Amino acid sequence: MSLLAGTAIVKHFGGIKALDGVEITIEEGAIVGLVGPNGSGKSTLINVLSGFYPADAGQAAFDGVDLLELGPHQIAAEGLARTFQIPRPFGTMTVLENVALSYMFGQRRHSLADARSAAGEWLGFTGLGEVADSPIDQLTLHQLKFLELARALATEPRLLLLDEVLAGLNPTEVDESIQMIKRIHARGVTLVIVEHLVRVVTALSTTLTVLDQGLVIAEGEPDAVIRQPEVVRAYLGSKWANA
Amino acid sequence: MTRRTKALAGFAVAAIVINLVPALAEALDTPGFYITFMFTAFFWISQAVSWNILTGYSGYFSFGQGAWFGVGVYTTGVLAAKEGWPFLVALPIAGALAAAFGLGLGLVVFRLRKLSGEIFALTTLAVAFVLASVARLYSFIDGGRGIFMTGTPLPEFLGDFRTAMFRMTFVVAFLTVLAAYLLYESRVGWGLFAIRDDEQVAHGLGVPTFRYKMVALGTNAFFSGLMGGVWALQIGFVTVDDVFNIRVPLFVILMSVLGGMKHWMGPVVGAVIIYTLTDRLNSAGLEDVNQIIIGGLLIFLVLAVREGIYLRMRMRWILTLTVFGTAMAVWTFADLATSLIWDFAYASLITLLAVLLPTRQSVARVLRRGGPATPVEASAAERAST
Repeated sequence: MSLLAGTAIVKHFGGIKALDGVEITIEEGAIVGLVGPNGSGKSTLINVLSGFYPADAGQAAFDGVDLLELGPHQIAAEGLARTFQIPRPFGTMTVLENVALSYMFGQRRHSLADARSAAGEWLGFTGLGEVADSPIDQLTLHQLKFLELARALATEPRLLLLDEVLAGLNPTEVDESIQMIKRIHARGVTLVIVEHLVRVVTALSTTLTVLDQGLVIAEGEPDAVIRQPEVVRAYLGSKWANA
Repeated sequence: MTRRTKALAGFAVAAIVINLVPALAEALDTPGFYITFMFTAFFWISQAVSWNILTGYSGYFSFGQGAWFGVGVYTTGVLAAKEGWPFLVALPIAGALAAAFGLGLGLVVFRLRKLSGEIFALTTLAVAFVLASVARLYSFIDGGRGIFMTGTPLPEFLGDFRTAMFRMTFVVAFLTVLAAYLLYESRVGWGLFAIRDDEQVAHGLGVPTFRYKMVALGTNAFFSGLMGGVWALQIGFVTVDDVFNIRVPLFVILMSVLGGMKHWMGPVVGAVIIYTLTDRLNSAGLEDVNQIIIGGLLIFLVLAVREGIYLRMRMRWILTLTVFGTAMAVWTFADLATSLIWDFAYASLITLLAVLLPTRQSVARVLRRGGPATPVEASAAERAST
């Protein structure tokens, strides 16, 4: 039984069809790598599934509930969380308060008192324990990206959409982030990873889904998908597809 | 202290103030303008604090304060003065009606995503203009003739007019500050601050943004209207031009910005300082240059203390208390000024200058709510799993 089944998801921006009938299945416990050339609709799909953009058509059945009918806070309550490519922390709160807030709301209601200790645990998990009381502006990009993770995890999601968590990091930080993603997965969270570094995604994911021009053009076992002619064509042009 | 004991202590203090201050004023035969000074300060505290519940907490900039205030003034004006209802029956209706107008506006503007930022601010301003026109047009409200509030009977137990005003404004201001404090400490407050910082992200993390913004706007309008209902009495002769002008919305903005919009106490401090200064400048016969002096001071202070006076005072609370206490004592006992209000004004001014001294503490640390956090290391189980 799949955790999320998206059918015929359409999203226009004016005359541009960013999503042109996307069909996507996400199995429980999977790590889905979502790849595709620039402008293929990866980020739009994340935004539609998390309720940030209203979809123009289609369904996204998440454990029997159609996400496209819900607002962002209701989607969070269903157990879906996301991170942002460019970290967007709450600027007037400390690191700990950022995480406490998302635990208080998130999937279930929690009291303020519980939120503080739970937030501390999530900061420990993501290695941010030492900066718990720091203001946001003292964090590095790497720490901000981990704060995005801690905050998303604190909502206790079943499905977590990671929008380019590796972008802008140096090789050491990329390695640390990959370890972190594996640890998150080990806790039983289903993951969708949007990423430009195809090599990394291929190594990490259990399923690879390739988007091109608003359509899913390939889906399946990563090493096989990456060799499909359509996928090569989408990335490199038709010249290389038959090479 | 637990929240319950805090609340009980607060109500006890309030009950003492309501009864003791007027009695004390009578026993000591203090000049009547002391009481007037205090209840005008309560008026501004309530207006500024209620405005801050919407704008400071949620970040939605409102020029609508005049509208909610005006609805309150005209509700008791029409019901108590024209229709002869008992004043204390008309008063809660003033708050409720203002809240209804606020929620009505919220229902429209918060549903439309495009109406945020400047457009929201302009919409709230437009509401005041529309309400002013309606009041002017319909003779059952005003019809351009104004309403005489003088002679509106007040219940005996409130005392003479001045004492009654003191008691009513104090109760409304107390309730407004209490609401601001409770919201600040609550889940709704946290949600609103998240909305202020990044509404989209807050929504995505599960904050019911529409509902919380409605709570903020409704609370703002309710207390502004409630105080407006009381204030109709002090205005005496209510006219559209006096009520629906830019004075109230402008002053609450100045007070909150000066005091600090990120903490529930900020507007209280801002309101007291700005009201005291304008009042003293007026009483010194400087009405004409009053606004220039206040304006200049504001520009200076806002640039010098961006986080607001209150947070700066908290960062340097020993300095603040010492300077204020010393100045107040010196002025009072050396009899340097003609009245206690002058003493207070000078002491405030000196304290203001003292807290301008820079500090290295961060705002986030002072803002931190619910006590210090205990950093928690990764649990053994989690470390094992890595």
